[in-house]
This record gives sequence, structure tokens and C-alpha cells, in this order.
Amino acid sequence: MHEYSLASAIVEQVKDIVQQNNANKVKKINVTAGPYEMVIPDLLKDAYGIITSELEKFKGSTLELEILPAKINCLECEYTGEPDKEGDQEFAFNFKCPHCGSRDTHLKIQYLTIETVDLEIPDEVTSA
Amino acid sequence: MSPEKKITVKKQAYTVNDELADEIRFLMKEKKKLFFNIMGSVGAGKTLLLENLAQRLSKYHRIFVINGDIATTIDSDRIAQHGVKTVQINTGGGCHLNANLIHKELNKINLDNYDIFFAENVGNLICPAAWDIGAQLNVVVVSITEGEYVIKKHPIIFKNAEIAIINKCDLDGLGFDSDILVEDASKIKSSMKIIRTSAKTGTGVEELIAALGIKVPKGEEYA
Ligand SMILES: Nc1nc2c(ncn2[C@@H]2O[C@H](COP(=O)(O)OP(=O)(O)OP(=O)(O)O)[C@@H](O)[C@H]2O)c(=O)[nH]1
Ligand SMILES: [Mg+2]
Ligand SMILES: [Zn+2]
Repeated sequence: MHEYSLASAIVEQVKDIVQQNNANKVKKINVTAGPYEMVIPDLLKDAYGIITSELEKFKGSTLELEILPAKINCLECEYTGEPDKEGDQEFAFNFKCPHCGSRDTHLKIQYLTIETVDLEIPDEVTSA
Repeated sequence: MSPEKKITVKKQAYTVNDELADEIRFLMKEKKKLFFNIMGSVGAGKTLLLENLAQRLSKYHRIFVINGDIATTIDSDRIAQHGVKTVQINTGGGCHLNANLIHKELNKINLDNYDIFFAENVGNLICPAAWDIGAQLNVVVVSITEGEYVIKKHPIIFKNAEIAIINKCDLDGLGFDSDILVEDASKIKSSMKIIRTSAKTGTGVEELIAALGIKVPKGEEYA
């Protein structure tokens, strides 16, 4: 359950973005993460809801987490890309090389990343 | 209606942890200290292994152990009986240690007073995998009583470790089988150092000490 601290980190960064843009409101935040980062979308959303419930500028906003396709780097044959499309019947996570079948792969870290933030900007600011 | 604007950010949400972890690793290296992260499932034997290590090493090295647990000081009290310094971090519900928690503890002490640092992570095979705490080596402990599927179900934490310990091997053959776990650990990572241990009898602890790169004076090996 580290989603709470991740959601807080997102909110802290977005607060800065709101200020830099003199925005009224946050409408939507889009974030991404790789599948090996162990972030659970629903838990992150719940945590975000709790954290922002008292924040006027975040009222009614949504947080969307997209889990990106896994990326591996095979240590046997040097393949780089997504793991075997067939999946892995044996292990709970699929990191098998589609070329040589090895599981001796390096997992590419794809940290939780804030991709875009949709803001509502007051008229005076845009026309100024 | 007020105009809307989409801001492209493309920025990591949580950079602090890894920056701090790198800072800790750099500091330890500079001061020629060793720092190990002991992860593993609940009840796998992390504390009992650390008791074994403390008992064997406290004669030669000044050791500091950081115990991460949701609550209580049971584990740090157990390890402190073996003549090493310990501190308990209560994560208060948190499922893993992070670099910030470690950094805070290290700031309270004089690093020069110690040679080797261990962190016992919170018993959990999922979350600690994604959180770098700045250790030079990451160790995962599982035990054969957890069943033959424990590694297959939690492979990611093994990807992020250099040493896999298969513990409770004193029970090997008594309805439990260490071979499957050894095989799975090696499938995940060919460079993995896999060590069979019994924290109960002490078997394999010396091999672990060697794998960690900890030196003990010649001729005095575990006298
Ligand atoms: N038979 C046997 N029992 C062991 C061994 N290692 C640990 N135990 C027992 O397993 C139980 C859990 O051991 P701990 O050392 O507390 O395990 P831990 O991983 O620190 O547990 P948490 O910190 O609660 O996650 C204790 O009752 C130990 O005595 C072993 O090698 N063989
Ligand atoms: Mg313990
Ligand atoms: Zn390959």
C-alpha cells in the first residue's frame, strides 16, 4: 500500500504546476507507470480522492493511471522490447524473451510519471 | 466558461526516493561502509538470520541494524542481544522501507562509529521490490515452508536482488523441498547467488557472509 505516498507526491507536484500557471482548477491528471512498479490503479485513485477532498482547486478532478507495456532487455540474446506475447505460464509476471525464451532479462524501470495536467485558467490570465 | 489548458509535464512523480537512495549509496561507498538490504516474506527468518550474522560478526565489526516493521520493537530487541547496535523504524502501516526513512535514521548517528549496516525490510515480497533504499546489495529471504510456488508468485523482488536465500533448510525433505525454489531463483536471474540456509542451525550462514563480501580475520573464522 504505497499508493498513498505516491498520490501525495503527485498532488504536491501538481500544486506547483497550478501555481505556475495561475490556474483556477485542476480538471484531470494523467499518469503512467510500468507494470513492474507495483502501482495499483484503483488504490491510487482512492488515495488521490482522499488527499484532494479538502483541496478547493482539486474538487471534481480525476486521476488516470495508465500501466505501460513491460519492457525487457534480454541478457542472453540482447533483445530489447516487450516480453513474449504468449505470456508466461509459470511465473506471475511475464519477463520472458520472445526471441530465445530466456527469463534472464533486465526489467526496464518505468517510474510513475505525470504525463499531462488539464487545468482551468481564469480569463484574465490567458488574455493578459 | 473559463478556458482550459493541457500542460505536458512528463516528469517522474516521485524522484526523491531514488535520489536519496543514490546519495546513501554514494556516502557509504565513500566512507568504505557496507550496507545490505534484507528483504523477504513474513516469517521467512530475516531476523533469525540477522541474529546469526550479529553473533558471528560482532567480534570483528561494528554493526548497525535498522529494523523496519509496521509496529513493535520485537525484532530489534532480538538482534540487540547479540552485541550489535539496533534501531527499530516503525512504518506505521507502511509496507516497505524507503530511502527517506533510512536517511533519517542514518542522520541520527555517526556513521564513522560503524562498519557494516543492515536493514531488515518489512516482511513483504511485493512492495520493497520497487523501493531502493540505497543498499549496495539486496538480499531476498524466502523459506521452504512457504510452499513451492513462493518465487513463481513473486518474481519481481528477485529480479531486484543479487542474493537469494532459501531458508529453513533444516526442514528440507520433511515435507518441504528446497530444490524447486533454488531452480526458480536461478531461472529468474542467472547471476543470482543462491544460498541454502538454516537460521535455526546456522547452516549456510558462513556462505552468506562470504557472499556479502564481509571479511573476518584469517584463522579466526567463526571460532
Ligand atoms: N525450522 C526453522 N525455523 C526458522 C528458521 N529461521 C527462522 N525460523 C523460525 O521462523 C519464525 C520466524 O522467524 P523470524 O526470524 O522472526 O522471521 P522474519 O522474517 O524476521 O519475520 P518478520 O520480521 O515478522 O517478517 C521464528 O519462529 C523462527 O524461529 C530456520 O531456518 N528453520
Ligand atoms: Mg523480522
Ligand atoms: Zn533473448
